[in-house]
This record gives sequence, C-alpha cells and structure tokens, in this order.
Amino acid sequence: MAEFIHITIDGDEVKAQAGQTILQAAEAAGIKIPKICHIKGEEDSSNPCLLCMVEIEGKGRVRACSTPAEDGQVIEVHNRELDAFRKERLETLAESHYGDCRAPCNLTCPGGINVQGYVNLIAKGEYLAALMLIKEKNPLPIAVGRVCPRFCETRCRRILLDEPIAINHLKRFVADYARDSHFRDTEVGRPTGRKVAIIGGGPAGLSCAYFLRKQGHQVTIFEAEEKLGGLMRYGIPGYKLPNREVDREVQGILNLGVHARLGKRWGTDFTLQDLKDQGFDAVFIATGLSRQKQLEIEGASHAICGLGFLKRINLGDRPAIGEQVLIVGGGDIAVDSARSARRLGAKNVTVIYPRSRVELPAHQREIEEAEKEGVQFFLMATPLRIIKEDGQIKVEMARTILDEPDERGIRHPIPMPGSRLTWTGDTVISALGQEGDPTFQSYGELEASIVLTPRKTIKAHPSTMKTSVEGIYAGGDAATGSRTVIQAVAGGRRAAESIHEYLTKEKPGVLEPRFNFTKGKRFEDVDMHNFEGYDLQLNEVMPARPPERRTGDFGEVQLGFSEEMAVREANRCLQCGCLGLSKCTYREYCVDYRVKANKARTRLKYPLDRSHPFIVVDANKCIGCTRCIRSCKYDAFELDFTLDPKTRLLTDVSIKIKDNCVSCGACVDACPTGTLSKQDSVVPLLPAQLSTVKTVCTYCGTGCSLDVVSMYGAILEVKADMDSPPNYGQLCVKGRFGYTFYRHPERLYLPLVRDSLDEPFREVGWNDALRVTAERFTRIKEKYGPDSMGVLSSARCTNEENYLLQKLARAAWGTNNVDNCARV
Amino acid sequence: MRRGARLVVIDPRRTDLAAIAEEQDGGIWLRIRPGSNIPLLNAMLHTIIEEGLTDEKFIQERTENFDELKEQCADYSPERMAQLTDVPPELIREAARLYASSENSLVLYGLGVTEHKGGTSGVIALANLVLATGHVGRPHNGINPLRGQNNVQGACDMGTLPYILPGYQSTDDPEALERFARAWGVSNLPGGRGLMEPQMYDAALKGDFKALYCVGYDPAHTQSDIGRIRDAYRAMDFVVVQDMFLTETAKLAHVVLPSTCFYEKEGTFTSGERRVRKVNKVINPKRRLKADWEIICLISQAMGYPMIYTSPEQVMTEIQKMTPSYGGISYGGIGDTGQVWPCPSKGHPGTPLLHTEKFPRGKASFVPVSYIVPEEEADKDYPLVLVTGRRLEHYNNGSMTRRCQGFELIAPHELLEINPEDAAALGIKDGQKVKVKSRRGSIRAVARVTQRSKPGTVFMTFHFQKDLTNLLTSPGMDNKTLTPEYKVCAVRIVT
Repeated sequence: MAEFIHITIDGDEVKAQAGQTILQAAEAAGIKIPKICHIKGEEDSSNPCLLCMVEIEGKGRVRACSTPAEDGQVIEVHNRELDAFRKERLETLAESHYGDCRAPCNLTCPGGINVQGYVNLIAKGEYLAALMLIKEKNPLPIAVGRVCPRFCETRCRRILLDEPIAINHLKRFVADYARDSHFRDTEVGRPTGRKVAIIGGGPAGLSCAYFLRKQGHQVTIFEAEEKLGGLMRYGIPGYKLPNREVDREVQGILNLGVHARLGKRWGTDFTLQDLKDQGFDAVFIATGLSRQKQLEIEGASHAICGLGFLKRINLGDRPAIGEQVLIVGGGDIAVDSARSARRLGAKNVTVIYPRSRVELPAHQREIEEAEKEGVQFFLMATPLRIIKEDGQIKVEMARTILDEPDERGIRHPIPMPGSRLTWTGDTVISALGQEGDPTFQSYGELEASIVLTPRKTIKAHPSTMKTSVEGIYAGGDAATGSRTVIQAVAGGRRAAESIHEYLTKEKPGVLEPRFNFTKGKRFEDVDMHNFEGYDLQLNEVMPARPPERRTGDFGEVQLGFSEEMAVREANRCLQCGCLGLSKCTYREYCVDYRVKANKARTRLKYPLDRSHPFIVVDANKCIGCTRCIRSCKYDAFELDFTLDPKTRLLTDVSIKIKDNCVSCGACVDACPTGTLSKQDSVVPLLPAQLSTVKTVCTYCGTGCSLDVVSMYGAILEVKADMDSPPNYGQLCVKGRFGYTFYRHPERLYLPLVRDSLDEPFREVGWNDALRVTAERFTRIKEKYGPDSMGVLSSARCTNEENYLLQKLARAAWGTNNVDNCARV
Repeated sequence: MRRGARLVVIDPRRTDLAAIAEEQDGGIWLRIRPGSNIPLLNAMLHTIIEEGLTDEKFIQERTENFDELKEQCADYSPERMAQLTDVPPELIREAARLYASSENSLVLYGLGVTEHKGGTSGVIALANLVLATGHVGRPHNGINPLRGQNNVQGACDMGTLPYILPGYQSTDDPEALERFARAWGVSNLPGGRGLMEPQMYDAALKGDFKALYCVGYDPAHTQSDIGRIRDAYRAMDFVVVQDMFLTETAKLAHVVLPSTCFYEKEGTFTSGERRVRKVNKVINPKRRLKADWEIICLISQAMGYPMIYTSPEQVMTEIQKMTPSYGGISYGGIGDTGQVWPCPSKGHPGTPLLHTEKFPRGKASFVPVSYIVPEEEADKDYPLVLVTGRRLEHYNNGSMTRRCQGFELIAPHELLEINPEDAAALGIKDGQKVKVKSRRGSIRAVARVTQRSKPGTVFMTFHFQKDLTNLLTSPGMDNKTLTPEYKVCAVRIVT
C-alpha cells in the first residue's frame, strides 16, 4: 500500500504518494508546473530548463521534477519572483533561438489565412484539404483567387532568392479544382435558434453569412439588387471575374442554408427597427459604397460615371462609347473602365491622372495589363473643363505640378500655370474613387444613432466590427472605405465571430497569439545565408489569352494553372513558418510569460540540415533541453553545445543524427521546438488546432497505438502517445513515417474490368464492376460447383472484414475454400 | 535488457538483435546453419535433460509422454549436432542452461522457425523446450509467435481458414455448422475441409479450381516460387482482386476493385497477444472509395445473398454472438487499450495469460520431432543458400511503404547481402550489380557485402516489385501448413 503524505501547493492542500516528486504530485492533482526538459521516466537533463523551479517554505527554490514531495511541504509555484525568474530564463533561451514562428505570408494576409499550410498541401496533392484550410478564413476563394492584390506575395521571402510564390494563382487553382470535382462544403453547426440579418450581399455580407451559418445560426441576407455578389458581380469586370464564377461562389454560400431576400433595399423596403421587430437578434451592415466621388469641374455632367458604366456592362449592356475615350482617375475603377472601353471597341483609350506613374492607386499589375491591351496613360495632367460640341466632346486640360505641402504635409497636384491643351473625342468617363453615403441615417431612429467616421463611413471597431448601437455590426467598404475583396471577407468573418460571441457568449475557434519570433520583419533584416543551397526556380507563368484576342470580348483573361503547374509552383515554397509549431512548448511559455520576441537572435548561425530522409535539423532553434538525445533508444543522436557559465547562453550547437539511426522519429516528437521537424510536415498549426484520432498501426502484429493527426482528409503526421500500450510512445519508421502512400498518385480509385488477361483493363463504375463480378462468379458456381471457387483474405483487413469474407464463402457461395495470408 | 534480461538469439544472420545478443555480457548468439532449427533445439533439450535442468514437477503434473521425448533426444547431443548446425557444442549447452535455469524465460519466435519444410516440427521442438523447463503459464514466460503481418491473428480468429469457423470452431462439428447455418439464414453450410491456398493453386493447374476473390493480399508477389503461382492464376477463369494499388496479383485479375486503407476505415485488429484493438477512421476516403467490408457486402448482395450491415460495429455484434472467445468483446468495451480474448462474456476482464492451470487438452503431450531436411541444399551448381525475409523499412510486398515519402532514400531497391568471404571468392564488390539465379528463375540485385550474412548464405527481401525475389524461392513447403520454405533455397551469383 502506498503511503500518503500531504503537501500544500499555491495554497491548495494536495494528497500525494510518498516517493513522488513535487512535479508528479502536482500533476496527479491537476496542477500545472511549467517544464520543458523533463521527460517522464527518463534521466535528468544535463542542462536543466529550470522552469519547474518552485519555492518550498523555509527551504528556498528547488526543481520540482527532481525534488521528492515530503509531508508538510508548503510550496509556491507562482509568485512574482518565480515568474520573473522564469521569464528571464525564457528570454535567455530566446537569445539563442532563431526562426520564424509564422511565415511572413501568413502574417501579412489581411484574411489571416494559413498560406504556408495550403501552399504545401497543394504540393502534396491534397487540393481539397488546401481549399478547406483557405475556407477557414476565406469562404470566397473562387473570387479572391482571381482578384486579390496579393499582400502575401509582397512579403514572400522567396523574393530574396528569385521570385515570390504565385500564391494567389494557387488559391485559384484549388478553388477551381474543387468546382470541377463537384466538391460540396455543406456541413453546418447545430441550430442555435438565433437569427441574424445581413444587409448587403457583397463579399463582406457573404463571408459573414458563411461563418455564422457554420456556427449554426439562421442567416438572412437583404440585397437591394436582383442578385447577390455586390461589387464582385456589378463592379469587377467579367474578364477578371466572370459572373458565372460569382454565381458559383454565391451558390456555395446559399447551399449552406443561408436565406436571401433579393431586391430589398434598406430604407425603402425595411429599416433596422423592422429587422428587430422581425426577430433578428443581430444585424450586420455590409452595404459597400455605392456612391462615386463627383468630378468637380465645369461640364462634369457630360462625363459618364465609371461605376455605373461597369455595372451596365456587367448586366449585359454594351453601351456605344465611340472610338476616342478619356478616363479621368487612376484607381481600380479607372483602369477597369479603360480596359472595358477597349473591349467595347474604343480604339484610343487614355487615362488621365494628375500624379506620376508610381502614385497611380491601381495595382501596377493591372496597369501593365491595361497597357498590353493598348490603354494609354497621360500622367501629370488634369481636366479643367468638358464641352459638348457637334456631338463631339472636348476636354480642356492642363499639365500639373505639385503644390506646397498642406498642413498634413501632403503635396496636392495643381494645374501648371499657363498650361492648356485639348482632347477631342467621343466619351469621357469619370472614374474617381468611391465615398461614404450618410443618407441611411434618415431611414429611422436606430439608423440615426449610428455614429459615422469623418469620411462618412460607418464607425465600427476594427476587430469586433461593433457599431455604436448594440447588436448592430458593420464591415466591408461601408465601414472601412474602399478596400479589397479579401479585406471585406476578413471584416465579414470578424463580424461573424463577434456576433457569435454576442449571441452565445462563447468564443469561436482558436485564439492565435500574436507572439512571433521572426527572421526579419523587413527584407533588409533577413540574413541572406538562409537561402544558401537553393537553386534558381522562377515562378510558373499564369497562362493568359493574348491581348489582341482578349480585347475582342469580356471573356476571362487568365486561364488558371494546370495541376502540374500548381504542384511545381507550390513546391517552390521555402516553408518559412516553423513546422514544429504544434509541439513548441517553448513558444507557449514565451506567450504565457510575455517574453519579448525581439530578444531572439537575428542572424543565422547554423545551416539547415536536410540530409536525413525524414528529419530536418535546424540547430538555430535549439534551446539545449537535451530531450532529443534522451529520447533516442538507439544511441544514434549526437548533441553538443557550450554553455557560457556566466550568461548561460548556448553556443556552438552541433546536432548530428548518426548512421545507425533507425528513423523511429522519437527525437522529433520529443523536441519542444522546431529544431527537429519532419520532412513531410506541411501545415504549421498551433497545438490547439491539431485534430488527432487514436488508432492501431497496420504494419505488424505488435499492434502499436497511433495518434494520427489529420486535417480535412489529409494526414499531417503520425505520433504515439507516451501512455498507451503496447508501445508507450515508441514507433518504428513505418509506423511514424510510412503513411503517405494513401495519397500516392498510383492509388486506384475506379474499378478495373477486362474479359481476359490478354486485354487491357477498362475503368468502370461500381455498378458495372459489381454486376460483372456477381455474374461471372455465379456462372462458375452454377457450372462447376461452389468448390471450384475460393476466397483469400488478408491481415490488412479488419476482423469484421475477415468475418464477412468467410461468411461470403460459406453462406453465400457454399464452400470452405477460404484462406488467408498467414504463410508469409 | 537494460535491467539485466539476457538475450539468446538463434539466427544465421547477424541481425541487429543478434548483434545485441553477441555484444551483451552474458548474451548468446547461435549462428545456425539455415534449416537446422530442429537439431539445434533438440540438442538444447538434450543438454537440459542430461544436465538435470528440467522442471520435474511441471513435467509430472502438467505433461505426458516425456519418456518418449527423452529417448528421442538422446541421439541429439550438442557435440553430434555441431556439424549439422554449425554451432559449437559449448555454445548450445550454454544457451540451454541459460534458458532452463533462469526463473523466467520467454520464447519469441518468428518466421525463421515456421518458413521451413520442417516448420511445424520446429515449433513443436520449441514447445517441447518450453514444457520440459516449465516456462509457461506464468507471467514473463511462455512462447509467442511474432506475426509477420498485423492482423494475421484476427484473420485466423475470424475463421478465414478452410477448416474452421469463427473462434476456431471446427467445420467438422455438425452442431457448430448447424448453429451458423441458422444464424446466417441458410439451410446448410459445407462441412469438412476446404482447400488451403497452395491447394487452390494445385487444383487450378489441374483445371479444377476456376475462380478466386483475393482481398488485400498479393500472393503473385509474396508466395514462394511465384512462376508456378502465376501459371495457376492464368489457369483460372475469373479472378477478382481488391487492393489499393495495381499489385502483381491485380495484374493477373479480371476485375480489380479499389479499396481503402486502415486510415480510412473503422473496425478492429487483433494483435499477436490476442488483444483486440479498435481501428478508427482518421480521414474520409477520397473519390467515393469504399471500405472492404462494404464491397464484400455489395458482392454478396449482387449474388443474391443479402449481407446488410450499416457499420462494422454491427458486424462485431454478430461476431460476439457467434464466437465464444469474443463473447465479451464490443466497441464499447475495447476502449483505448483493447480487450484480450478469451473474453467470453460482457464485463469479463479478458485473458492475457493462457495455460495457467491446464492446457486446452488437459495435459500437454510431448511430441518428439526429428530433423527434416530442406527441399534444397547448396550444391556444386547452386553453391549458396538464399535466406529471404524482411527489412525494417518495408512491409511485405512493399506496395504501401515503397509509396511513402523518404522510403525511396532509405531502402530504394533489393539488396543481396553477402559475406565478405563469399564476395571475395566471387570477385564481388559492395554496390555491384549482380544476377541471382536459382533452379526456377533469375533476378537482378545490388550486392551488399556485409558480415550480417553467414558465409555460404546470402539474404534478400521480397519488398520490391521490380525484382521479384520469389521467382527464385523454393517449392518446398511444410507438409502440414503448406507454408513455403522461404528460408532455404540454393542459388548462384552471376556477375
């Protein structure tokens, strides 16, 4: 019988068994003591992490992992000094730590998408898993994959090597792949009984609807137009984003069970009070910006409105605009209008803009495409007056110079004194930016109490999207002013999360700490030695229709990556984000103890070692806990480092996996940082994001317990639980690393049939294959009797399957000719 | 072993385990000549009897027929067996003493015992050793086969053998047949013995066996002497293979049905220690793939015998009813650690340790066994003995492991392990491409000159589809189980 003792931990009395350490006693009582280096049942670290230091009253500090619990001890785990000591320890470790927790692409994406994760799922051929990972943050990948300005690509570290990864094209590839393979994402949460109204069916509204529906809320979108899609449908031209793709995107959202009331205009058909009266528990306003800034010059009424022009074309109109067209403006609407004008047959299309080329607000990529299509840019010039004369339009213009800085230091362009020139043509399109429209405040009392920003947009909290009125949220352009689709999508998602919390008092999803070690926030900060050993491989070029063909219609310009191109492109990823993230207890403590991430080293010290077939060694991340070497049962691991006796800093780290390594992978799973990671890891995930299934290994008769980590139908890694028999955390190379066969390209998916062995197989459907099988077995049974047939079964089949196989032979066929593979 | 367990390894090859035994203080490695298991085991028994190391009380109370064994073993002194086994007599005696005199001794045996013409007799010889020393029926003792594949135990438990119904109920037992017939809704079930797999091939070659349904198994790759096996497949009228990949057997099929792997389905496996464990689905199979159990049911239905189950759990409920040893096993009861059969009723704790009080037949009977000569021995034309087996890195026909990332780096192709002495005599260098020929075929391999191979023997696996080692292997079989003699076949190396 075990002898019991009593100790006190942080004021709680704990019953412990004699012989237990303080750590064991605490853990048995469910009290957590910070620790990194300790491994249950293994010898002590030669370089203890010291995080488990606790204070015993009257005795001072001791290590909980190696100090026996004794009756009457009064122990403190947390007090100000101990926690400060731990923070100092963690910061010392940080000084010898170098790496990126999260990849720059991931951190830059306004939608917060796990970019590195989905790019690498594509590299492994897991396209649908990649899509679902995108949809965790962005439910409109078909649209965003075509129109995103690609914030992520601008921060891609591969720029320092050659060219960034074509991330957005990859997103489009998986979105189109899912569309072509008729993939349906229709799973929703259990009904919550709560109702949410969304005003506006553009990207922000659709995104909010998707995420609310996924949580099980009832959602109704009120849309003023005849169809959903907002700016994606009525603004963005079809040559970039065809309406049929918007239809598909919208259909996907509706299929979740989202309701939509079309042709219902806020203010005309309903007010916020009406929605409240109809029982909606919350409202999300995502009306976008329907108003365009006015051209304020004489004769402005002779110019047509760019936004209206684009909408007419998207509705199928083909307005007559003549051969000579002038576009006033330099943003997306201006360039979209110009390219559309070319498609309507205009021979000479000129965009006039009062500043220089680099200041054009439209994306440089768009400008280049427009120029390829023959659009001309007349820069440093501004219209002064529009005159209509003999059916022709004349525009008086002036070259511009920059004025003295105003009170905010901005230099505005002004007409150059004395400059005068005239343009004569058929149509002038005014394509200045959009602006907020405060007229909604007159719709009702609730509307009137919504506070606006100085720019006349709705004031909403940037992370919760709450307006000044309880239960009313706002997002998308209506709140932020003119932004991109992905920003609207992100706003919609944040609103959905916030509304969900408001309705259920629970936080949705996993909270992602902002803590991040980085190899350099700016490109200039990144050590170029990181890119040693990589070969030049420029990115895949998006196939596109040639300019002379595409200007003849509004058909889509870019054709999309083929599967081969996508996989090749995805494989260019440098995998900056740490693939040890999900097991990094070090980072978790850094977050808990508010360690400053900038304490970390800024320079690469040791080259990355990818020579092991399954394990990547990055000594730059080593914190010297020695868990790896102590978890190796084969004496195949060498770890050396020098410890500065004064600073306790780790130097000269050397990690070597010896030739006698049997690739069991125990060291990787034991490593509490990304120093050791797995070659076939793909998705950097937080520990809380892992989804693990317990099962049994298929590879031999031992029947090892496995913990298989997967995501959306893709297996991410195989681990073993330290507490599960018969293997207690151990696995062989097959068990831990031998899983990727399930997605091998040679996998059979369709039944194969042939009449005789000398002919090739035909791929057939299941019904045909089963019919042929049944017919031929039956014929043989009738002709030669049941004992002319037999069944062979397998050790890879379950007990249930083996049972059914012998039942088939005995009961259905009438023979004992059944055997299995036990001879080999 | 870190806590002092001593290891005896009997193996012609210096495997990693043999190396540990050799290097361990007090450990023993018996580098046996392939095919001489029985003489060696009998010589150990001879020593134990001669030196009075038997457990007289156990022999008295729990066994019978010891005298016959004693008499037979008299001829097998270690000194006489030394030449046949290639093991020095003193080493045999030392191993016998260590095994017999330790308080707890455990026998683990692998396919190196069973895959011989005298495979069954080899197992009996081991059993004699265990019984004579009383190392059974207590914790840390006993005799355990190490299965080559994961669910061989479960497959046999479930009655996929031609002479037993689920739970080892004999097909000669009219009562059992009657009970199953009633449960399965048929008027009667076939009695007597069906054909074992090798007998099916014999019958096919004679024209008497016409159709085969082969699930998750690749005999055209892993059976011995596969030249003949392939002929048997070609002789059949209709072959259906169910697998994940186009295996060698699938290439000889008329219908190939794509199936799912264990990450994609639910069910149970029974490990070598009779522990029934739950297999849980990790991912949904892609592109409308079906689990094996679903396909089996669909075929049965299409042939007019409805097998309607909505889940594997429903099948387990039927197994539980029909199989006394699984009577207490259920998905609810398995938990994370499993249930060990015999587990006759709900709530029964399971039976990890067998034979504690008595054996199934009451008293265990010693069965003297004598040396059975392998089908082939090295001779002038084929001077080396080929031993085949597995490597850590691959599983069986390799159809799964060869398709895993990284494995192409650690074990990309077949290796012929050859001792430096033999290599020098043949002028073979490490890494050299060679041809290996037997009386039945010829394949290519890369030579690995290594002390792992015993002089006069070479070693190859059968994991690779490009070089099918079983084109070489022996037609010899154990005459009871028809297990091929994978461990001995005469070859010559051509450079």
